[in-house]
Amino acid sequence: MLRQTSRLLARSIATTQQPIRLMGARPMSTNMPATPVEDSTFAASWKKVAPLIDPPKTPSAFMKPRPSTPSTIPSKITVNFVLPYASQLTSKEVDMVIIPATTGQMGVLPGHVPTIAELKPGVLSVHEGNDVKKYFLSSGFVFVHANSVADIVVVEAVPVDRIDQNLVQKGLADFTQKLSSATTELEKAEAQIGIDVHSALNSALAG
Amino acid sequence: MASNAAAPFWRAAGMTYITYSNICANLVRNCLKEPYKTEALSREKVHFAVTKFVDGNPQKPIVRSDSGTA
Amino acid sequence: MAMAAALRREGRRFASPLISSQPITHVRSSLIPGEHVPLGARSISTQIVRNRMKSVKNIQKITKAMKMVAASKLRLIQTRAENSRGLWQPFTALLGDTPSVDVKKNVIVTISSDKGLCGGINSTAVKVSRAINRLTSGPDKETKYVILGEKAKVQLIRDSKKSITICMTELQRNPLNYTQVSVLADDILKNVEYDALRIVFNKFQSVVSFIPTMATVLSPEVVERETESEGKLGDLDSYEIEGGETKGEILQNLSEFQFSCVLFNAVMENACSEQGARMSAMDSSSRNAGDMLDRLTLTYNRTRQASITTELTEIISGAAALES
Repeated sequence: MLRQTSRLLARSIATTQQPIRLMGARPMSTNMPATPVEDSTFAASWKKVAPLIDPPKTPSAFMKPRPSTPSTIPSKITVNFVLPYASQLTSKEVDMVIIPATTGQMGVLPGHVPTIAELKPGVLSVHEGNDVKKYFLSSGFVFVHANSVADIVVVEAVPVDRIDQNLVQKGLADFTQKLSSATTELEKAEAQIGIDVHSALNSALAG
Repeated sequence: MASNAAAPFWRAAGMTYITYSNICANLVRNCLKEPYKTEALSREKVHFAVTKFVDGNPQKPIVRSDSGTA
Repeated sequence: MAMAAALRREGRRFASPLISSQPITHVRSSLIPGEHVPLGARSISTQIVRNRMKSVKNIQKITKAMKMVAASKLRLIQTRAENSRGLWQPFTALLGDTPSVDVKKNVIVTISSDKGLCGGINSTAVKVSRAINRLTSGPDKETKYVILGEKAKVQLIRDSKKSITICMTELQRNPLNYTQVSVLADDILKNVEYDALRIVFNKFQSVVSFIPTMATVLSPEVVERETESEGKLGDLDSYEIEGGETKGEILQNLSEFQFSCVLFNAVMENACSEQGARMSAMDSSSRNAGDMLDRLTLTYNRTRQASITTELTEIISGAAALES
């Protein structure tokens, strides 16, 4: 239910924003260097080898236009939070996100330096005014761009209140036991991942 | 990878990032409350056949079925 | 019953002259001995046409059913394909779009369907892949194919047998999902050496339009090279990298993750295009069957009318002969 509403909300915001953004910055974003130039070299070399077929499109042709880097730091950060089977947040403007980077929890505010961060299992919290939404992320990446846009790409994310405490405890015990009985490198690594994920889940429920 | 010592433990054990992230995701799915758990687990089923080619000749196809997520 | 069967057999043998609107009486008199004319003999020609109509009607039923199936599958898969569209955009925003990058080892990942009857999408994917092969080939360069789906395999095996490294089929046994595609991506990465992966697929635009698309995924080494030498990814240098001990390590993870995400979207889009193409193919073939049925009905009615007219003429002239 929660997921549904957030998606609906995000969609409505996205649609209302569309005209403004389309009017604003057509030249895509700053972090896509010289796309038209590249395309023309590609098109030219394509013509040589296959004059009869049109060159295939490339992903940049289908990109949603992204805002250019503003001269002043905006008051909100734009978040794209995507999963393989859903887009949880699409171009949603929020005050702050706290992401579970492998180096530790990382708060991202507008005007954050451009960053690529690998994620570890942990809690993502999205702060919007007094409203805080918490998701548990399995793993993935976060890119913070210079234009105060944060892309969060995650394999699996669930709202924290959907996690079953009992299963977490059981899993933690199981994998602790597996680690002690593991013989190969691979088994050990699997058990270690199990412990990492379950203790992260555990602390997510506690916090 | 030149700096093997610095690599995360899962890569040292021969996993790729994809395997690692799938294991993580699967563990998280397993800890969901019902009905979300069944929904999430039934969504992510693996089945496909792999045929390797050696010198242009197809080898016997191998079927991969729900083995990728340990 | 036996008579009817015999008639039908008889009829089939003379099918062509009968349909081509020759005078029926002539055919009858020359082929069937006069006194043994069974009751329905005049309608032999209509019987053939009727059979033909029946079979066309059945074909139409089948294509209509296939269209319905494709339409419902399309609805399911379309929402999921649309949901997966957010997945690749962050990577393109970060790592850019590099179709013209020049590297030694190219791997072309051609995505096609397992089943046919879906218009030209598979041939398009194969044609584009072959062109990319020509584009990327050169002295001391190597291009390999990785094929998803049966249909591209049968086409590419004819001329590029030696370049195929691996082929994956039966993807759509279960509904497509990320775990499946990522396991598949993992299998690909373990089996090929690459500098750049070129994923060729048909992007779903609408039920009637599919755009052949090529997405490029670079290996971590190439990404690093391009960032350092003022290459195509110069902007990547301005990003701080959190996590991981080395930049190479995180780029490796990133590139693997990018490949599985991009491949997932590509597989979804292609599956969507497949159902769309099948739907329009089946739609046009049921329309064709309908047209044919119309023509046959016309022939049928015409022949029937002709036989009635002949009969009437015979009766009237007989009566006239008696009167005189």
